Amino acid sequence: MKRAKVAPIVALVVAAVLAGLVWVLVAGGGGNDDKNGIVDSNLLDKPAPAVRTTTLDGQPFDLARRKGNWVVLNFFNSTCAPCRAEHPELVTFAEQQGLLGLAGAELYTVVQIDDDLQAVRDFFDARGGDWPILTDEEGSIFVAFGVALVPETFIIDPDGVVRLRWAGQIDAVTLAQLVQQFRQAFGT
Amino acid sequence: MLAEGLNGLLGHSALMVGLAATVFGALALAMSIVTRNPNLRRLVQAYGWTSLVAAVAAVVVMERALITRDWSVAYVQKVGSPNTPALFNFTALWSALEGSILLWLLLLAVYTSIVMRRYRARLSDPLVAWAMVTMLAVTAFFFFLALGPTDAFAQGVTPVNLDKCCAGPNPLLQNHVLVLFHPPILYLGYVGFTVPFAFAIGALVTGRVGEGWLVETRRWALVAWGFLTLGIVLGSWWSYEVLGWGGVWAWDPVENASFLPWLTGTAYIHSVMVQERRGMLRVWNLSLLVATFSLTILGTFLTRSGVVNSVHAFNDGTIGPYLLGAFVVIVAVSLGLIAWRGDRLRSPGAIDSPVSREGAFLANNVVFSLFAFVILLGTVFPLIVEAKDDRKIAVGTPFFDTMGTPIGLVLLFLMAIAPVLPWRKAGTELLRDRLFWPAWSGAGALALAVLVGATGFAPLLAFTMAGFAGGAAVRQLFLATRRQGYRGLLGRTNGGMIVHIGVILVAVGLAASNSYTRAGEFTMNVGDTVEFAGHSFTLQSLDDFQSDRSVGIRAEIAIDGGQAYAPAITKFTAFGMDVATPSVKTGLDKDIYLVIETGSKPSAGLAKVKIFIKPMIVWLWVGGLLCGLGTVLALFPGRHRRRPTDPVSAPIDLSDEAVDQADQADEVPA
Amino acid sequence: MTRLKRWPGWVLLFLCIVGLMTYGSTKDSGARTPEERIEEISKRLACPVCNGESVYESQNPASAAIRAEIRTQVQEGTATDDQIVAYIVTNFSAKTQLVPKTSGFEALVWVLPAAALVCAVAGLAVAFRRWRRNIDTVPDDEDRALVEAALVEGQEGSDP
Repeated sequence: MKRAKVAPIVALVVAAVLAGLVWVLVAGGGGNDDKNGIVDSNLLDKPAPAVRTTTLDGQPFDLARRKGNWVVLNFFNSTCAPCRAEHPELVTFAEQQGLLGLAGAELYTVVQIDDDLQAVRDFFDARGGDWPILTDEEGSIFVAFGVALVPETFIIDPDGVVRLRWAGQIDAVTLAQLVQQFRQAFGT
Repeated sequence: MLAEGLNGLLGHSALMVGLAATVFGALALAMSIVTRNPNLRRLVQAYGWTSLVAAVAAVVVMERALITRDWSVAYVQKVGSPNTPALFNFTALWSALEGSILLWLLLLAVYTSIVMRRYRARLSDPLVAWAMVTMLAVTAFFFFLALGPTDAFAQGVTPVNLDKCCAGPNPLLQNHVLVLFHPPILYLGYVGFTVPFAFAIGALVTGRVGEGWLVETRRWALVAWGFLTLGIVLGSWWSYEVLGWGGVWAWDPVENASFLPWLTGTAYIHSVMVQERRGMLRVWNLSLLVATFSLTILGTFLTRSGVVNSVHAFNDGTIGPYLLGAFVVIVAVSLGLIAWRGDRLRSPGAIDSPVSREGAFLANNVVFSLFAFVILLGTVFPLIVEAKDDRKIAVGTPFFDTMGTPIGLVLLFLMAIAPVLPWRKAGTELLRDRLFWPAWSGAGALALAVLVGATGFAPLLAFTMAGFAGGAAVRQLFLATRRQGYRGLLGRTNGGMIVHIGVILVAVGLAASNSYTRAGEFTMNVGDTVEFAGHSFTLQSLDDFQSDRSVGIRAEIAIDGGQAYAPAITKFTAFGMDVATPSVKTGLDKDIYLVIETGSKPSAGLAKVKIFIKPMIVWLWVGGLLCGLGTVLALFPGRHRRRPTDPVSAPIDLSDEAVDQADQADEVPA
Repeated sequence: MTRLKRWPGWVLLFLCIVGLMTYGSTKDSGARTPEERIEEISKRLACPVCNGESVYESQNPASAAIRAEIRTQVQEGTATDDQIVAYIVTNFSAKTQLVPKTSGFEALVWVLPAAALVCAVAGLAVAFRRWRRNIDTVPDDEDRALVEAALVEGQEGSDP
């Protein structure tokens, strides 16, 4: 008992703990999970959160009253490069859907909290796009949909149920195809 | 290789020369120890100087490439831009992973050369020689990193398209002059701990029980500790000035990575005194040095490999395995050596009583180690959960605050008690006498705090303990200067007390600013005045500004109708990143900290203004400065009481008289 | 003076501190203001996109939106802090919750430090007991051998 050899034992214990640590560090290694494309959301196949706001022109807007139509919500910031790059595609998409008449999906842009509304107005004037632009001065729409990075696009069916969440840039063809698929799948 | 630009070629050559020199140097020296061949040993000097020249050359070439904007170098494309201001272009060297490894390498080569020059006459001593081998090996590893996994001189994409690449350093790294000081000083601290670590390895390999190596490394550890402390405080100041949330510390993984070696390093510079005085805790001290050095490597791994995410991190996957490998090698070698030599190093001495100076140091060590454990656990816990359940969680400020507050209070208490405790054993009589005025100073601090309206149990306890600890430090300095004049401020004990006062100021600043910050958010039109916390704030103007790199909003806000302060927020378009430029009215009792929030609309003349009233922040910086000053004073030799070469097993007189004498002597530097 | 430093001075000191502490820590600092509530809640949440900053600290628009949402809910006054945090965490991801849970596997992060403290204190207690015993023992042969070895080595070390 006197002056037992403890150093090897202590060293062994410490080594075991550190080996565990190293294993965790090797196994871990998160990296970024920024995905572009269809992503998961808690809202999928659930009724969309309430969206009550005003448009850039000062008109009141309530998502609940859009039931009966397919709705595409695009989350946007005029200072974000992918959003600007995506815009012509959305213009094309809106024109296509307009040709479908009442059956066409309605497109809405939701503006991020820090964006200058005047800059958004100027951007739409310069680059085209005449669909309603929704303001989100209190950030509640972004938070309700869990949108942190723009652009993001949601597809909501005529019953007001969220069908798709798309992170990052999207193009007109893909968006139109997705809407069409859902239209067939859910029979409207 | 042929198409490589001149700078790339020069840089690669310098690094290769450096790598060769350090590898050969380490091998030659190790051979000379084994074969006892003095000729090999003489070569080491030349190898050492060559590696220094190589490291300096590599850094100079990189700076030249940055300044002349030599786009043939990939790193210049990564962190350079045609229009970065000169200062930030210079500091761009350490604004990404590859360059920061170069900076690390340069500082390491400098430390290695100084050690080599200082101990050139003693290289025949195996302990010093093994320490030198360790230093050269570590330097070689960093030359290897700079040459291979984080090749700073890699060839850039050609032809260069300045619209696509070359956005310049991260916006946060081109916004404040502190970028010039914080990283190099912090690195001086990190890298500095290589020296005591090398001597610890030397001591373990040779299995030498003598305390000679300790006396050598104590001062190196102190220098490294001083730089690390200063670097951390400067980092907090920087984050206060640029991050725009009014805080100084966020328990972010990178911050934790710098704090971990600080904790074990602090534990070491305390417990080393027990070894010097009593010859005890040898293995423990060696372990602390090993822990400190390996934590700097682990911290670098955590924050540079993309394993954890942080605002400060440079995420890059390539370096991770090498750093982790280095960590494993360091720990395995050290643990192996300790297992092999540990029992031989153990001292037969005993600590007589917990109520003694060494008892207090022991408690200090336990608390510091526990603190380090908690922070390491909190930092890697998300990884543990991810490895086990494959889901992501976060561990943040609330956890670290909850854990850190009681630990901090215990440390303050120890800081109050320890300086008055004599070595070996203290009676209640003596404690009652010596702690009397320090304790009253704690009561005074409490009374003052209550008088100015402070509330809450934890902060009040913190102020009391701070006053108590401050009283103990001042008592020591008072007794020492009364006896020795200005020399009473020199030496380890007294310089240490000045560091204590610095730390106490930091603690008070943290307790006050964490507990009593008031924040208000106001939406104001130009011309509006709001009242908040007894001050009036008038928004005088709100303008947007643009440069070729950024767009931003600047407000002018007059405080109490007086001078206008101009907080701004800048969006660097190439990064899509908002950087706040808060405007701070600094005062001795409180700072008024103004930020413009995202969501301000200059076109509508509408500003979202956030106002923080932060008490006693300025004392954090004063405290940090005092820590630096105290470290410098502690480096001066104090009056020696026992020559380090004296055997620690010399007979000890335990009579009251002798104990009292020893206590008297304690109040002068040992 | 020395008399003062005996019990009368210390008792007075004790009374002073207890009195001031009781007064100071029980003094009503008022109910939490909405601003304090917002601050507390936003410190419990991690910014969803910006690597290691809390919503309170971050300048990112996502955090600005979350802060605004917290403000709205606090001003409505119906939801508790926990409910607001839960709402944000469900909408974004579990990554946004900065305080580890106190149940399940995550409780380990709270338990391990406590366990480490207990071990450390126990270890110290054992060490002191051993040391106390050591003081009273006379050196045995093993000790002598150790001293012998150390002396020989010390000579080697000082005389290279």
